[in-house]
Amino acid sequence: MKKFWALFFIFWPIVALYVCLVAPSRNWWFPSAPMSSVGHQIDGLFYLILIIVAVTFVGTQVGLGYALWKGATKKSGEKAVFSHGSHKLEIMWTIVPSFVLVFISLTQLEVLANIRVLARFPDEARKTPVAEVTARQFEWRIRYPKPGTQLSTEPQEGDLYFVNELHVPVSQPVMVHLRTQDVQHAFFAPKLRVKQDAVPGLVIPIWFEIEKAGEYELVCAELCGWGHYKMKARIIAESEESYLKYLAALETDQNEDGVADEAASASDEE
Amino acid sequence: MATVTPSLGAHVHSDDHSHGHHEQTFISKYVFSIDHKVIGIQFLVTTLLMLMVGGALALAVRWQLAFPWGSMPIVGKLFGLFQTEGGQISPEFYTMLFTMHASVMIFLVIIPVLAGAFGNFLIPLQIGADDMAFPVLNMLSYWFMWPAIACFGISFVASGATAGPGNGWTSYPLLSDLADAAPSSGAAQTWWLFGLTLVGVSSMMGSVNYMTTIINMRAPGMTMFRMPLTIWSMFITAILQAFALPVLTAAGFMLVFDRLSSLLPTDVHSVFFIPAGIVVNNAAPTIGGGQPLLWQHLFWFYSHPAVYIMLLPAMGMVSDMLACMCRKPVFGYKPMVYSMAAIAGLGFIVWGHHMFTSGMNPALGMTFMTSTMMIALPSAIKVFNWIGTIWDGNIKFNAVFLNCAAFVALFVVGGLSGIFMAAVPVDIYFHDTYFIVAHFHYVLFGATLFGVFAAVQFWYPKMFGREMNDTVQKWHFALTFIGMNGTFFPMHLLGIAGMPRRYADPYLHGYLEHLLPMNQFMTISAIIMGFAQFLLLGNFALSFFFGKKAGRNPWGANGLEWSAPSPPGHGNFDVPPVCYRGPYEYSSPEAEAMGQDFILQTSPPPAGYKASSNHGH
Amino acid sequence: MSLTPSWNRFLLLPMLTAVVAGGCSEYNSSFVYSERTTSLIPEAQDGFKGESEAAPAISGVKQLVDDRFGNPQDLKAWLKLPVEFGGTQSAVAEYSAVEGVATVKFSVEEGKSLPETASSVHVVSGALAGETLLISNWDATTGQATLEGLPSKEISAGDSCVIDGGTVMQSGRVLYMRHCSHCHGTSGDGAGPTAQYLNPRPRDYRHGIFKFTSTTDVSKASRQDIKRVLQYGIPGTYMPSFLLLTDSEINSLVEYVRFLSLRGEYERKLVNELAGDFSQKAVATRTEGGESREAIVSELKEMLAADIVDAANSIGDGMAEDWSVSDTAEAVIVPTVARVPDSPESRRRGRELYLSKTLNCADCHGVDGAGNGPQTIAYEKNPITGEPYNEAGLHDVWDNLNQPRNLHRGIYRGGRRPIDLFARIHAGIKGSRMPSFKNTPHEDIWHVVNYVLSIPFEPEPGATGVAVAAPPAAAAVAP
Repeated sequence: MKKFWALFFIFWPIVALYVCLVAPSRNWWFPSAPMSSVGHQIDGLFYLILIIVAVTFVGTQVGLGYALWKGATKKSGEKAVFSHGSHKLEIMWTIVPSFVLVFISLTQLEVLANIRVLARFPDEARKTPVAEVTARQFEWRIRYPKPGTQLSTEPQEGDLYFVNELHVPVSQPVMVHLRTQDVQHAFFAPKLRVKQDAVPGLVIPIWFEIEKAGEYELVCAELCGWGHYKMKARIIAESEESYLKYLAALETDQNEDGVADEAASASDEE
Repeated sequence: MATVTPSLGAHVHSDDHSHGHHEQTFISKYVFSIDHKVIGIQFLVTTLLMLMVGGALALAVRWQLAFPWGSMPIVGKLFGLFQTEGGQISPEFYTMLFTMHASVMIFLVIIPVLAGAFGNFLIPLQIGADDMAFPVLNMLSYWFMWPAIACFGISFVASGATAGPGNGWTSYPLLSDLADAAPSSGAAQTWWLFGLTLVGVSSMMGSVNYMTTIINMRAPGMTMFRMPLTIWSMFITAILQAFALPVLTAAGFMLVFDRLSSLLPTDVHSVFFIPAGIVVNNAAPTIGGGQPLLWQHLFWFYSHPAVYIMLLPAMGMVSDMLACMCRKPVFGYKPMVYSMAAIAGLGFIVWGHHMFTSGMNPALGMTFMTSTMMIALPSAIKVFNWIGTIWDGNIKFNAVFLNCAAFVALFVVGGLSGIFMAAVPVDIYFHDTYFIVAHFHYVLFGATLFGVFAAVQFWYPKMFGREMNDTVQKWHFALTFIGMNGTFFPMHLLGIAGMPRRYADPYLHGYLEHLLPMNQFMTISAIIMGFAQFLLLGNFALSFFFGKKAGRNPWGANGLEWSAPSPPGHGNFDVPPVCYRGPYEYSSPEAEAMGQDFILQTSPPPAGYKASSNHGH
Repeated sequence: MSLTPSWNRFLLLPMLTAVVAGGCSEYNSSFVYSERTTSLIPEAQDGFKGESEAAPAISGVKQLVDDRFGNPQDLKAWLKLPVEFGGTQSAVAEYSAVEGVATVKFSVEEGKSLPETASSVHVVSGALAGETLLISNWDATTGQATLEGLPSKEISAGDSCVIDGGTVMQSGRVLYMRHCSHCHGTSGDGAGPTAQYLNPRPRDYRHGIFKFTSTTDVSKASRQDIKRVLQYGIPGTYMPSFLLLTDSEINSLVEYVRFLSLRGEYERKLVNELAGDFSQKAVATRTEGGESREAIVSELKEMLAADIVDAANSIGDGMAEDWSVSDTAEAVIVPTVARVPDSPESRRRGRELYLSKTLNCADCHGVDGAGNGPQTIAYEKNPITGEPYNEAGLHDVWDNLNQPRNLHRGIYRGGRRPIDLFARIHAGIKGSRMPSFKNTPHEDIWHVVNYVLSIPFEPEPGATGVAVAAPPAAAAVAP
């Protein structure tokens, strides 16, 4: 029975590792490869930590398992080894992990600064925020500046409004202003690896550069009430040309007076 | 032995319980008792019951995640809620489930079971005192739990039976600050805050008591570095608690003021956390000037140290139990103490890692990241030392040991997953996903609760004079361990897949749809784990009547408590104990000279034995 | 110890099993009946039991509603109603039963196509009318189906039937229970568990009234109107946008919402037929007036047995007519003139009209558009009961306090496009105290629209037509 329990403790890390190894092939992994420039950096750091952590995990579990196995196979009557510890070992396993940990945190700084420090945002993005994303219970309200004008922190006449769908040009850094109308929310685009809380009373700029045209989920990641899970939106990255086309169409729709071109409105209705 | 006179101020009692005391009624002996052992057992029983409540809430959460919007068992049919919906719960009910699961588990189970139950029971016994320094305060600390439980109970129904407190155990404003912000933000939230404050009062009374007792009431010869690691951990926890708790209490009062000051007949209204011009649920716009982030700073200034409050005592107890079950001294006793102290110290400067995505200044993020990384170091040292303790030991593979070994194995997972979240850029992705849920369940369930399971069985003979059935405990261990890993390990993968926490229906989102089968597997694991707890409860209750009678020292352990009768009478020790050595001298030459593999801290050196190196460290 | 080790230590397990079994047994959602239905005397609600073949059972209101609409587990399709229940209308072209294997060939009308898959067919006419047969094998190209087993009677060519009927309703119901029911209630009564916490209250569809429509004041909401609200939400309320549901999902939801609205409206109108004489209150008055209860009940019995059946049919016809017409282009409001270009003059004209005696917008919305006109502090009477409401202000037909919009906030519940505002003014907001101004010249309505759209940007309240001031200083941007 002793051996059974030792094997029990040896067995489960193997299962855990196996599950992690097959996870990517079973689609139990990231929703997709990172689709933004910072996403690649974040994933790089993730895999770096993953390797360090995996080695540590295996090391400690092997150590534990071996110690248990040794204990389980000990002959009856054999005494435990009387020892109060070892200074050498203590020093070793203090210094080595501390170097590793300092190393990990140093590798993060650059990426963190790129993501969060306003002064290090790409210039073109910082100067012309494309939209203001306002979270509210339980949807994302988008406000674009009137085409040809600069986004202002307060609504302006001619601003364009939409809900739950943010269009941005692809392959260029874009900045959006994030705010909330009511409680705290968080802007989370899993495939872009972007997350930022929307804090009442603050306007928080975020930037990202989407590398491939397409649709990307946008969800809420900070509990905002009963409908937290309902805040389902998408970010649509498209070429500059179709982005401008979209804004133009949005402007037309926003000025819809019900009597314009019959054919256009008929197709619009459907 | 009889010639020893106690030099510390503890009142000495003889074996005779009634000696020097007036007659005790049932009420004063078992209900409003000032005996630390009774209070400890009261805490233990209360928290085990609360564990079942919290567990039931967790199963309800799991049910919804596995069978979203299906008819929820018990809730609908038995409680008569959601009748026209056929037992399909509402989203605000779901927010209540996870909020109250966390609140119950943290405030009514983990914190009181460690400090309240084992702290109370063990501190005087292990340091050789006859009781706590302030017995009445101790009694109050238990009886302040009940108003807290009552407040939490009222909060379930204060805003309607389907909308208990539902703003997360973190209760971030404005959701928790504006009564209109959510169904659960009304009276329910207020009662929840009252409950929280009362738990704080209870903890604070305990902390003061533990610190005083440990500093002042140690038996002769019980120097600081002869204290068992349990006592060290309780001591450090008490300090942490005493310094961190006032901040939470203050924050709680600020929030209560924000919520209720408009009811006061004065013109003084507070808006600590409320910015101006916020409209929720078409209520009047807020008049403000406050800052919601302030709450996060204050809350985490307490709650991060609280995470260690929920862990350190278990670490200490597991160190004790591992040494005993391996018949071997704890590997690196002093490094263990120092690393606990380091965890406590660093614990005060890492709270910001809960706020990496909050919009806090990025420069702060960098500092908090570095300090958070560094707090992994003492944890790592402890893990290595535990493995060192098991290494070359003469291991007794009973359920106590298995639970302790599980503590070590699972704490490693919880610790390592923490590194991902300490790294800000990676945390940006993992923040508020199931990865964090996996992380803290590995620490709080995998580590702390397994430690508690071990401790319950280990000290059960001392509490009741009978042993728990080891076979049942092994079944309990195996089922819980398998259920626990089946439930929480996949959560890492859910987190990597980007599933945000606190979602009533994650499958609404296309990129999460395929995770439903995995969630169903997790729910089945959780149900197995949940029902396995009946084995523990049954064993606990039945062993009281039918368990094997235990002597003073059934495990052959060294601590002072094992020199007392089982259960110890009023005043604990029949002879005032004197401590001669450290607590972990298992298999020492000294013990061998006595023909055994342990040597009680109270045993004087055997005749003719030359104490050459009874301090190996 | 006094307790002996015996069987009673195993009591725990059966007790637990009992609790779990009791708590886990089947539990279904159900449609509820309106308060007006339950205010009828019990006989009117539940009808009369059949005593013999000569005196068969007579349905009460509840049964009449259930006959037409079913319950959530078993929805009924009343084909007369303009609801897309799903399924393919077809006819039997050939039928053969050889060696116990029944094969049917189906045909559909010109221009329509057979479904890709099929699992059941509901026979509408002929010997087997009302029965549903299961299809074991389906060939989509030829329309040839093999049935499971032999039908009890012959099917003949020309019998009409529906293949896979009710699919739209089914998916609509599933989606509704997932996304909508916790606010709008299983039966669309706007009283789901979450509803009590929301301001404004979620819509109760059972009046058949939707506030924000593109249709004229006398019309119902069109499918497009409901769809638009589902897709874009209602800003300023808890109705969120469901933009990311697929088109077919939205369409099924629209149909299901129409189904629930019609159910509620049908129930309501049926009760109207009986409430005057057979509500508990009316019967109490009548018995006080000397009539015997038995006489009243037999009068009711007669009515339920005969008249009510006709009434029910004509109610169905009326509803079908209303909802169909509202879904046509004729019902949609089309301004006769294009929007008057926005200009300071137009806005000033709009403000004049806003303050004028004819439109009298300021009476409710206030002189400066802050939603604080004199009506908002007046006490209204409930038009049905004649009792004054408990709180001051305007109420809608659902008896909820429904104060006029503060036009400064820039939140337009019915949509912010000029045509949306035009329709709000032209048709009013249905069910609320915002009246229809359909007789106002369209040009004037456009002036008012221009004015209303400019209100959030006024440099100071009431100062319209002035050039817009520079944007206010930017709010603090966090680093």
